Order: sequence, then structure tokens, then C-alpha cells
Amino acid sequence: MMKKIGIKINGRLRQVVVDSKTVLIDLLREGYNLTGAKQSCDRKGQCGACTVIVNGKAVRSCLTKVIDLEGADIMTIEGLGTPDNPHLIQEAFVLAGAIQCGFCTPGMIMTAKALLDANLNPSIENIKQAFRRNLCRCTGYVKIIEAVRLAGRFLRKEISPDEIRPKPDDPKMGVSHPRPSAMIKACGVAEFAADFRIPGALELAVVRSPHAHAVIRGIDTSTAEKMPGVIGVMTAKDIKGTNRLQYIVADRQIICSDKVRLLGDAVAVVAAKTKEQALAAVGAVKVDYEPIPVMNSPEEAMADEAPQIHPDRPNLCYSQPIIKGDADKAFAGSAAVVESSFKTQINHQAPMEPEASVAYLEGDNEDALLVVIGRSINIHLHMAILQKALGWENIRYEEAYSGGQFGIKLEIITEGIAAAAALHFKQPIRYIPSIEESMLITSKRHPFDMKIKLGADANGKLTALAMDIVVDNGAYHSIGNVVLNRALHMLSSSYHIPNINVMGRLVYTNNPWGSAARGAGPPQTHFALECAMDMLAEKLNIDPLEFRLRNSLMPGQGKVTGHVVQQWPFPGLCEAIKPAYEQAKKDAGTHRDGTILRGVGLAAAAFGIAMPGDKAVSAVELGVDDCVTVYAAAADPGEGTDSMLCQLAAQVLELPMTKVRVVTRDTDTTTATGPASGSRITYMVGGATVEALKKLKEVMDEVGSKTYAALAETGKPTRYIGEKRTVEIAPLDPKTGQGPSFESDVHAIQMAEVEVNTETGEVKVIKMTTAVDAGTVINPQNLIGQLEGGMDMGAGYALREEYVAGKSKDWVTFKFPTMKTSFPMDTIIRETPRIRGTLGATGVGEMSMVSTAPAIISAIKDACGVWIQQLPASPQRVKAALAGAR
Amino acid sequence: MIDSEEHQKLVSDLGRQPRFIAGREIYLDWEGFFWDPADWNEEVAKILARESGIEVLTETHWKILRFFREYYSCHGRAPMNRHLKEGAGISLKEIGALFTEGIRLGARRLAGLPNPKSCF
Repeated sequence: MMKKIGIKINGRLRQVVVDSKTVLIDLLREGYNLTGAKQSCDRKGQCGACTVIVNGKAVRSCLTKVIDLEGADIMTIEGLGTPDNPHLIQEAFVLAGAIQCGFCTPGMIMTAKALLDANLNPSIENIKQAFRRNLCRCTGYVKIIEAVRLAGRFLRKEISPDEIRPKPDDPKMGVSHPRPSAMIKACGVAEFAADFRIPGALELAVVRSPHAHAVIRGIDTSTAEKMPGVIGVMTAKDIKGTNRLQYIVADRQIICSDKVRLLGDAVAVVAAKTKEQALAAVGAVKVDYEPIPVMNSPEEAMADEAPQIHPDRPNLCYSQPIIKGDADKAFAGSAAVVESSFKTQINHQAPMEPEASVAYLEGDNEDALLVVIGRSINIHLHMAILQKALGWENIRYEEAYSGGQFGIKLEIITEGIAAAAALHFKQPIRYIPSIEESMLITSKRHPFDMKIKLGADANGKLTALAMDIVVDNGAYHSIGNVVLNRALHMLSSSYHIPNINVMGRLVYTNNPWGSAARGAGPPQTHFALECAMDMLAEKLNIDPLEFRLRNSLMPGQGKVTGHVVQQWPFPGLCEAIKPAYEQAKKDAGTHRDGTILRGVGLAAAAFGIAMPGDKAVSAVELGVDDCVTVYAAAADPGEGTDSMLCQLAAQVLELPMTKVRVVTRDTDTTTATGPASGSRITYMVGGATVEALKKLKEVMDEVGSKTYAALAETGKPTRYIGEKRTVEIAPLDPKTGQGPSFESDVHAIQMAEVEVNTETGEVKVIKMTTAVDAGTVINPQNLIGQLEGGMDMGAGYALREEYVAGKSKDWVTFKFPTMKTSFPMDTIIRETPRIRGTLGATGVGEMSMVSTAPAIISAIKDACGVWIQQLPASPQRVKAALAGAR
Repeated sequence: MIDSEEHQKLVSDLGRQPRFIAGREIYLDWEGFFWDPADWNEEVAKILARESGIEVLTETHWKILRFFREYYSCHGRAPMNRHLKEGAGISLKEIGALFTEGIRLGARRLAGLPNPKSCF
């Protein structure tokens, strides 16, 4: 039934004719191009990213039927304020550092507006209640709560934004200058991939395998091709290049040609005038599959006679030992030895934004430029991979604003299909999958199965470590060996362990394939090592903090690979967290009886940054407007890369913040500077940028002016390239695992305080505290923001989250963190300038979650006496462990 | 433990392998591209050219190689073919014919430009 409705949107009267199904988000986004309201949860009302205000109340526009809105007064984020004239709430979110990726931000701000309109001074509980349906993956919610409270102060006129906003001429280092991109995100005008509108663009839907392992015997597209609105159906044969997305091993196809290897593999692609038409036609594509045995685990895949998943590679596709000293002899002479085993789960990185991509051709001849707008954190590599896979050289890759990342955007996902379809159909393409499809088709965090043995002498000094690590790589290699190697490089964490005997093995299965995921490897192995550290401390009757301090690596000693370190500020962190630790132990001591028990747990992390052989390149240019622009493909899906680069530029050149800017998102204008992964951007790309800036500064000093005119007049170049390369380049020895390791390390020790309900098995995190040393701090708010987001993510990894293919379909089944599960966090910062750091700084983004899970698991043990050796520590697992202990 | 042949295959897929060229250790990637363009010099280019079947690098070859080097030193990335055509002033067909392994694996590789890097 169609009906004409009169409504007011952002103060303007509108007449719309709608059917009974149309929801407000679609009217806003598709009808009026008001794309500030975001779609994440497949219109299930789970995420709040689409929140707008209707008649003064915050509503989820994905659940709101337009037909019911006659006479309604609707305000969207676009109606609240603009970057030139923002609302005080938008100012508060920017200044509080509550905006990282920015995808949830418009919904958050609209919820805040409705709350503050009703209550100018809400309590934290009021805020948590109002925001119970707004999800955020980046911030851990702490800074969002702070932003709402700050907005209240602004609105109550207790303080103004100008009083707290850093001035452009304020010191550049150690000051939380607002992120350059924050305000456009706060105002909902930053364009994410699904926000791009191209007239006449075709919509895609993909035929995906319902089998985890099957031969494709035939595909019949004839019926689908005749369906309404369908422009065509493409299969692997329509791709002119290699059809292979090669990171290391060319084993993943854009569209499968002969075999599927996991649930959700792409088999055919339907292009239609509308998304609904494309989805309808997907069901009409007939695929003849011949199912073959599915390898559900590394054990099955390594069994004799197990079918080989890839024809040219064994299922056990990579192994790397670490052999140092004589571990067997050291164990034999140890005063105490513990042995245990630990398992981690497959997990989804869970960025809120669906994996959307857009592609189109500029020009219509054989030299046409293929423009791909996607979610890459390595645009130059992804362009090169697509050139080969598609057989099309002339490509420009643009990175849209990305709604979270956490490793998932190291992989080409929808871009390959969108770009292939643009070439095949010669029409613009939008491929906007649902969140359910996005979860199904993306890489995941590798599950690790670990056996560990750790020994110490009578003085409580570690003697030896042995581990057997089996990594389920899933169906495709991606960077599996890199993830395993990263885990091995960082295996001894903060400690000196003189004797090592470790084997790491990587195995193909038919499970979701593993790839980058915040920390990528070390969070898994730190779980095993840090728990073993506590087990050993208990056996030796030494306090866990003292035990960690006693075993700290020292400058001049070697890490697990033999790499000798020059700096190791970990002992200072142990001292720094000690007062909080002592207090937490006292507090927990008063909750040792009854059903709810409190415990305290510690875990450390030494996270390596800048692998041997890493190199970054960056360009800086003085423009005719006397502003300096940094050009480098340093993706910023939320970490604050734009802040970092701008503050470095302003610092080195002694310019106000208003005179610097960054260009990072386009292959035609940026340097190819490597991925925004491995926490390498500040250390590597920042370092390369500083080198370029110093060259420019030298010339400015020589000329005695910072103006373009002065440089041009004296014939001096205005553009400079800087590079940063690691001192070491050689890879590990394949037989011993010895060799150079990461050039820099970020150090931390985290403390978890938890309550365990011994009846239900539920665990509540009371508080997390991190003592961190990431070198010189460039932007404190961004540093703390990374830590808070990481701790929240680590708590989800420890307690709730697990990806089960075919069952994890949305944010509820995934158990996405909410304001309800959030907890207070403290950060203690120490600054030890790094010898080769970027003006003394190193990275921090991944370390923030590496030790969270073991700290929480240790706190559970402290509370109720049981070790949870398999993540997540769900209520069922905790209950079972308690029952077993009884 | 997988056998050493498989291991070596993967290690070479991964990344960098050292080679001694013109008396120096130089790391090349899985396709033979320079890991670091700073390791390039004309002597190394001549040796690699001979390995790919080009006995003598002519002035036209050098013009193309120099364009690649200059473009990279200014932009920090390899030129697209459209930039190469404009910048070198030679048709893509001619460049392809001059380098036996084509524009990318031939000219760009011999000019010492690196592949974009993944995690490694």
C-alpha cells in the first residue's frame, strides 16, 4: 500500500510517497542523500549507527516505518551542525577524543542530543541507559561517556570549547590537537564507501557456496539472467586476469572457478538495477556442487590420507622452529616447571561498517581508468594485486573512510568483485553486502592450539620455554606464515628466557581463513605464556608482579630470536603499576567470600614494531598557499594517523597546525609506503615523513623563509622525499628461528580486576589498568584512545566473542561489546624516547589488547581458583571449571 | 615439519632473498624486484639485463630506466603506464618490445623499483 506522507526533515517540509515497508534510514540515505545515518546491523536495530531524532526522541531509523511518521519532525546529524558551524555536542565529541573511525559517531551524537535535550546533566548511569543500543568497536566507550559529559558542560555554559581546544600554535608534541578528520565525521559528511552515489550504478549480489569444501561441476545462470532488472551474471571465466588475490601464495580466487574451500566462497556475481533484483536473481543461479570431505581442524587436515585442500601445497603448509640454548637440559635443572595447554578461538575483527566497495571506469576505451573505491589499508599493494588478478593495468585505488579495521582491511574482499564487475559490465558498480555476508566472507583471527612448558630456578629466574603451536590457517594462506612468525618473534614477551625449544606449524583447513587481526599472533601466544608465568609464580610462591619484574629482559640481552635489545623500559612499568596493583589486591581481599568473588590479574606485553626489512617512504610539499602537505598512503581507519602526521609536520617545520595537512587515500597522489598494519605507521611512515620534513626545513632555514615564493625565487625544490628503513633486513634462520627481530618495542603491563559469579559463571570486568611506554607521546588522547579501545576488544576476546561460521550472523550472535559490558579504564604513561623512534615515538595500536585476555583470565583464577584454558571464558566454561575443581 | 623444499619454496614466496650481484649482497623479492631501490646502480642493472636476455642496454633503454628512477625518487611510487608513456615519450608498445620481460617485469624491475609491500 502506498501512502503520501508529510514530514519535516532538518527543518524542511517534505512530501513523500512510500509503501508500508520503507524504513526511515532508506528514505534518508537513498531519497535525500543524508548519509550521516549509517547502516551496520542489517536493519535489526542492534547497533544504533542509524540513530536520528524524531519528535524529540532518539530512534533507530532502520526500524522506523516512514508510513507511521505523518507530521513528524525529524532531525539527522546533517541538521545538527556543519564543520563550519558545529553544534556544541559535535565539538565535545571532537575535543574529548571520542571519534576514531567515525562510523558510529553520527548515531552516538544524535543519541546524545536527545539525552541532553531532556537532561542537561546526566549521570554516567543515565548515559549508559541512553546509549544502551549504540555500538562502538573503537573506543571502549570511555571517551564517548566523557564526550557526553563534556557536551553537558558546554550546554550548561560552564565552559566553552575555545577554553579547552588546543591552539594551532600550542606545542605540537604531547598535546591532544583535534584530529583533522574528526569534525567531518562528527557532522556525518565523511564519505564511507556505501555513501558514494553514482548515477546508474549497478548493484551486486553474490552467489556463495553453502559448502565448506566442494568441486564446482557446473553453473547455470540462464534463468537468473532473465529475471527483472538483471543486467548479467558473471563467473570466473569472465575475469581476464589471473583471478588470484596473491599476498604471499596465490591460492584465493576472486570468483571460484573449479572448487570452493570454505562456506561463503564466491561462485557467481549478479549485477542488477537494484539490490533487491540482484538478490532475487542469486537464488535462481543453479550451481552443481560435488561435496568433498571437510577438514574441520588442523588434526583432521594433518591426518594421513587427508585430502589436500590446495593442489600444489600440503595442508601443513608452513612450519618454523625456534631453537636457542638447550631447553631440555635447562628444564632438567629447574627448580620448578609448569606444563599446560591453551586454546584460542576463531574471532571476527568486527568493524562496524559492512565491507562495501564501489568501482567504475573513467573513459570507455581499452585505456580506460578503473577507479576502485574501497576499504584497503594498503592501497598500492591492493591496486597491484588487482592489476594482476583482473588483467587491467590502469587502476586508481581510493580509500574511502573506513568504519573500523582491526586487521580485516589488510585483505581485498569486495573490491575484487566490484572491480571485476565494473570491467565486465562496463558500468559503475556498487557492492554493499549485508553485515551477515560481510562476516561470512572476511578473514578472521587465527585460532591457536598451544602446549607450553615453562621452567625457573630456585631464585625465580626463568630457565627455559618449550611450546608446540598449531595454527589453523583456514582455507587460504593470506599472511598466515607472517602471523605465526610474529607470534614467534614476540614469544618471550617482556622476559629473558635463555633456553627455547618451540615449533610453530600452520595448517590449511576448510575453516574461515586467518589473517591480520589486532596483534595478529601475539595475543594468542601471550595468553599461554602469561598464564604459565602466573602458574610458575604460584608454584614458586612469588608475587606475580615481582616475578615479572625479576625476569625482565635487560638491555644487552637477547630476545627469543637472539636479537639483542638496546632499550627495555619494562621494569619501570612494573614499578609504575605497583601502587594500583597493591590497592587492587586490598580491594579484592574484601570480596573473598560469598557468590561474587573478586580477583586481580596481571599480564605483560612487549610488542615488536618494524620487522627487519621494513621500509617506508613519504613525500612532503610546500604549496603556493604556504601550507605543507604530507603525501603518504598511510591509511587511517581510526587510529589517528592524520593527527600524527600533521603534528610531526608542524613540530619539525615550526608551523601552526593550520598550515599542515595530509593526503593519504589515493594511489595517484601518495607514496607507496606499505600497510597500516603491524603498528608500524607512527614508527615507519612517521619516521620517513620526519626525514622528508627535515630536508624541507633545511632548505627553509637556508633561504630564511617558509614561503613558497621564497623557495621558488631561489630555485629550491618545494617537494622532498623521506625514507625510513630498518637497520636489519635478514629473515629468521628457517632451521633455528634465530636472527634479527623487530627494531622497536612498545611495552605494557595490564591489570584486570574482575568479579566472578560462582553460581552463573559470569565474569564482570570491574576495571582495567595499563601502564604503557610507547616512547615520546605525540598525541595523548589518541594514545589513550587506542589503549581503551584495545582493552575493550581484549575483554571481548577473553570473555565473550567467538566467530562460528554460519552461526555468527549479526552483532547479537557475535556478542559485540556494549556500553553495558564496558568498564572503567586507567592508563599510566611513561615516556622513554626510542633510539630510532619518530621524534622518540613508537607505535601502540595493537599492543593495547595483547595482554588483556591473560590479565582477565589470571584475575578469574585469583578470584575463584580455576584456570580457564580455552577462550572465550564464557559463563558455561567458568561454571564447568568451577564444577571440575569442586 | 614440512620438508625443506616446501619450506624453501614458501620462504622464497614470502619475501626477500639475498643475492650477490656486482660484488654486493642485494635483497630481491619473490619476483626478482629490488627489496630496496637504494641498492640499485647501473652496473647491477646491466647484469640483470643480461640475465633477462638484453646483452646491451641502449640509450633508449637507459632513458626509460632513468624515467622510472626519477619518477620514483619524486613520487615514492612506480609510475602507471599512462605516466610512463607521457614521461618517457615512447609508446608502451615500443617499451614492451625493448624489454624482453615487458614493462613491469622488465623495465620496472631493471630500474630497481620495488613492489608494494605486504606484511612480511
